Amino acid sequence: MLSRRRFLSGATGAWLVLGPAGLAAQEGIFLTAEEASRQLFPDAVAGAPRTLAATPALQQRIRDWLGRPPSLWEESYRIITVTRADTVAGFVVVVEEIGKHRPITFAVGVRPDGKLHDMAVLAYREAYGGEIKDKRFLGQYRDKGLGDVLLPYRDIRNISGATLSVQATGRAARKAIAVLRAAGDLP
Amino acid sequence: MAGRLKSALLAAFLTVLVSFGKATPVDAASPDELDAKLKALQEQVDALKKELEKSRQAPAAVAPPAPVPTPAGEAAPAAQPSPTPATAQQPPPPPATSTPWITDFKIGGYGSVRFESSDIDKIGDTFTFRRFVLSGDATIANRIRSVVELEFEHLTELEVEKSAPSEGGLRGFSNSIESSNGSEISLEQAWVEFMLADWLRFRAGMLLVPLGRFNLAHDDNRWDLPRRSLVDRGVPVLPSTAAWSEVGMGFAGDIDGGSWGKFGYQVYVMNGVTLDASLDTVARASGELETEVEVKPQRGTANIDVKKDKAGALRVFWSPSLGNEIGTSVYYGRYTPDFLPSETVWSLSADGKYTFGPFEIEGEYVYTRWNGIKRVAQGFANAVAEQALGSGTTPLDVVVEFDLAGLADSKQGYWLDLRYRFFPALLRGTVLGRPFENPQFVLTTRWEQVWLHNLVKEVDFTGSTVSDIIREDRYVNRATLGFTYRPVPLVAFQLAYERTWTNQGKSLSTVTNFIPAGRSQDTQNAFLFGVAFGF
Repeated sequence: MLSRRRFLSGATGAWLVLGPAGLAAQEGIFLTAEEASRQLFPDAVAGAPRTLAATPALQQRIRDWLGRPPSLWEESYRIITVTRADTVAGFVVVVEEIGKHRPITFAVGVRPDGKLHDMAVLAYREAYGGEIKDKRFLGQYRDKGLGDVLLPYRDIRNISGATLSVQATGRAARKAIAVLRAAGDLP
Repeated sequence: MAGRLKSALLAAFLTVLVSFGKATPVDAASPDELDAKLKALQEQVDALKKELEKSRQAPAAVAPPAPVPTPAGEAAPAAQPSPTPATAQQPPPPPATSTPWITDFKIGGYGSVRFESSDIDKIGDTFTFRRFVLSGDATIANRIRSVVELEFEHLTELEVEKSAPSEGGLRGFSNSIESSNGSEISLEQAWVEFMLADWLRFRAGMLLVPLGRFNLAHDDNRWDLPRRSLVDRGVPVLPSTAAWSEVGMGFAGDIDGGSWGKFGYQVYVMNGVTLDASLDTVARASGELETEVEVKPQRGTANIDVKKDKAGALRVFWSPSLGNEIGTSVYYGRYTPDFLPSETVWSLSADGKYTFGPFEIEGEYVYTRWNGIKRVAQGFANAVAEQALGSGTTPLDVVVEFDLAGLADSKQGYWLDLRYRFFPALLRGTVLGRPFENPQFVLTTRWEQVWLHNLVKEVDFTGSTVSDIIREDRYVNRATLGFTYRPVPLVAFQLAYERTWTNQGKSLSTVTNFIPAGRSQDTQNAFLFGVAFGF
């Protein structure tokens, strides 16, 4: 017969082994934009998100900043301004780029000087290449800007078998900065 | 003891159910954190209320255009504009959710074609359509996905005709097959994965055997040379040729080791490789119809397993930093069907990749041991004699010669690639560089060696007694120099020169499965131009 003590000890053991990792392992959708803003700027306060419609005029300005069109146009962009001691510490922009077949959703943290602060993958939908959500991969983009090409084998270390997702990450990072510049948040 | 185990298992099972039953990740939070979260939420609600009020007072916002994927190759515009602050406020877009799996199913694939010019007479100059693989994947639900790959190798046609003709009132039966030479249709992969955690993903179906790194990443368009490695394909040291998959179940996972990098594993139980017979029917000009039986190790069945035992494979890897990885793998299982003595095959492999700047070194070593080949040959002799008795044919003085192809006491070999990636800036504006995002040239050298110890050349037996097993030690070496142009990551134009050689005076045809060399042709020189594509 299953005693209460045995059940609790077994349950605790299973929870310790499977629980935390299991909860962290949501397939596909990993974070919300709000969670990402706290993760990207942990010591700053996130403001209310605002939504910027991707009008044709805005798209044209983004495209001009990028120098080439992105792989897809979103309907709108969610932008969260984060502050630290009443000073703007940066922005978090939610953008999407196509990996091989499907869009990958990123939250991109950008500092007021237009450089990348950090990135997070909000949703990954491809069959392969999910390694791009690893911190050690995304950490490469820190301090990069629109002047960087952000391409594998040039200024970014590639992930074997995930080259298309790696390229999509670079496009997303550049797109986020372009959105902020096109919207007037960055000079 | 059993009761204790049962109760612990039940408790663990219930806990797992409770854990996975939660819809969203919720970390334990302190009262202060909860208070801060509530305040933040309240601020967001207030801000949204204000925005709602504003939008009610203001005229309706212009609807944004629908998302439109744009071609990657579109020309870039000129100068940078002056920014304009234009922030049309809109309600937030709906969150990304999983679509029904049927609409989420994406078809992809890869293929490769090659022109080869060889100094082996039977090859000469030829085009080869190596393979076309159709693949698909679907996210069936959050944390559940499926992957399938169907291969058509060297296949141009396969036509089956069946009829029951009547001649003079007597009914006959006819069955004919029209097909292309050396063709194959193969289910390379078909599995479903249930992700319990990043480090614990359950997989079931037709799975790639995790032995070495090539078999797991065998897609032609991922490699920069137009021919697969000897160890994995041409002189297979793997128990079966790549892409080698088996029906089974198991687990895979990745573990973030923090400053130690990343760890991962795949462990499966499978039907496993087995000795299987291929019938080769030859209609001779003399009027004879001859059937030859070739017995060789092949991937296991997807039907009822003819062996009593299952096979297992495990690969673990450690990636200390991006672009660098070392792995080791092992395979063990019975390879004989149930009418032969139980004998096992085991393999060990070590592989790795190291990246420094534009250079990459990648390689794989495999050792395979086939146990009890003599007992297997004897068992086969017994089986043939018993069959002959069963059919009523006199077993005395029955002389049978059969080919135990591809078996050796031990096989070992390795391949080592050195690559250099570059693309000159002066070519970016040319037809090779424009309008592609990141075109690449790749200079590759590959050095390969395989050693076959006690390779079974021929087995003769009379009645049910093995009279002779002729064996030999052999080696095969190959050196390749290649140059590849990749306009996009999925497409490779591959130019290569390769030289393959074996023991002096021995034929390459008896140790490779792709060079139909003459009796004493021990060397092949070949130029290759291949195109590999993925989509």
